[in-house]
Amino acid sequence: MIQLFHVSKYYDRRLALSDITLEIEKGEFVLLMGPSGAGKSTLLKLLIGAERPEEGQILVQGRSLSKLRPSEIPLLRRKVGVVLQDFRLLPKKTIFDNVSLPLLVQGASTGEIRRKVTEALRAVGLDHKKDLFPPGLSTGEQQRICIARAIVNGPIVLLADEPTGNLDPELTSEIIELFKSINARGTTVIVATHDPNVLAQVNRRVITLDHGKVVSHEQVCS
Amino acid sequence: MRRLMYLLREALANVLTNRTTTMVAVATTAFTFACVGVFLLLYVNLRAMALSLEQDIQVIVYLQDDVTGQARAEIEQQLKADRAIASLAFVSKEQALADFQVQFPAESHLLQGLGQNPLPASFVVTLAAESRSSDAMRRWADRAQLIPGVGQVQYNQAWVEALAGIVKYIEVAAIIVGVILSAASVTIIANTIRLALYSRREEIEILGLIGASTAFIRVPYLLEGAALGLLGSALSLVILKAGFELFRHEIRSASRFLGVDALLTFFPFEMCLVLVLVGLFLGCAGSFLSLLRFGEGRA
Repeated sequence: MIQLFHVSKYYDRRLALSDITLEIEKGEFVLLMGPSGAGKSTLLKLLIGAERPEEGQILVQGRSLSKLRPSEIPLLRRKVGVVLQDFRLLPKKTIFDNVSLPLLVQGASTGEIRRKVTEALRAVGLDHKKDLFPPGLSTGEQQRICIARAIVNGPIVLLADEPTGNLDPELTSEIIELFKSINARGTTVIVATHDPNVLAQVNRRVITLDHGKVVSHEQVCS
Repeated sequence: MRRLMYLLREALANVLTNRTTTMVAVATTAFTFACVGVFLLLYVNLRAMALSLEQDIQVIVYLQDDVTGQARAEIEQQLKADRAIASLAFVSKEQALADFQVQFPAESHLLQGLGQNPLPASFVVTLAAESRSSDAMRRWADRAQLIPGVGQVQYNQAWVEALAGIVKYIEVAAIIVGVILSAASVTIIANTIRLALYSRREEIEILGLIGASTAFIRVPYLLEGAALGLLGSALSLVILKAGFELFRHEIRSASRFLGVDALLTFFPFEMCLVLVLVGLFLGCAGSFLSLLRFGEGRA
């Protein structure tokens, strides 16, 4: 479903990713491991069209991202859910409004929005907090809202960039379990992290990056 | 529908979030539009006055003293056939003398001393509406001068041309001031929108991440700009109307300008509507400039 062929990316002549070739199948759970600055976030940015590679090709569902017109990038992003370390929730909007945003931008009807937002909030166990505002929630709850927003429109792939960076080990486990359950429903999940606690809990495919290169590629059997 | 409501709500939220900036922007825009409006109002009134004066201006075609009755009839025939003429009246030498004695009784003895009537017969010509501009009037007078038997053609040339000149200057000034102040309004609105974009940059980033189109992100800011422009121009009309009424009241109180107040007119409703729409358009242009300059809302 996602294929990278000899992808390289530079920032002001500084190499961020070098000659990356890999393939991720539909329904996989992939961990992108590596220290800070290894190129994990750059790789995720390439997958949502926020950055373009200087060399190589990226295909998502057979479509080359380098051939996408700027007006087609929003359409790609509607198929990809994104979870970030700093949540990026809108503090002045209710939980319901935050989660409904991806549906709203697609022009979903009021009934569809209500149904899907309720489902997504139920999936993360926070449907009873839909009328609250993000600052009134705990850190773990905010991250779960962020996940609900990422899955509300049924994306084909969920990208998470250091999703447990701000969480303690107990909350980390909760979030990882949530990712596993989302993956079990058929969504491809790619989690970029440097947290060894995550690795310990996810016995799946692990791609390790360092200095922009893939240094190891393991398939861990669960 | 929900999407439209969201866009409108966001535009309103933008306005409310930066309340002080918005109010300052509306007030400044209103003031700049009002400055342009003063010139426009001056132009509209002077133009109306010029048109009204042009209607009153008559051209006098004096005949040579030796013109026979038949020649006079031929001249009259020729003038009547002229499409540039709306109406024509013949004033005989005797009539001219009688008119002079009525208008200037104190000076009538001067003419009696001459023995014979020195005043020439004439045709008093009122030109058709399309021939009343100073240029058309001059061209017609030059042509009439060439008719055999015509001595002299006179009209209040200096008045007509001076007024046309003033109207032209005001027109040019209104265009220059209008362009400069419109650019100023666009800049003010652009800066207000830039502040709104800056304060909501995180939200814009999130919208981009979740797949919002450029149009979806930009529309609330364009609406905000349009609202600022619309409010600014509407407020400027209120200020202008108040100023206009005050001025008219002062003119009415001053006895030496008796009747002048009745000649003064404010913008007609259609023009007010056009001015408000121009404000709305300039507001949109300001927003658009800000969005383009900062590249916000681009995927």
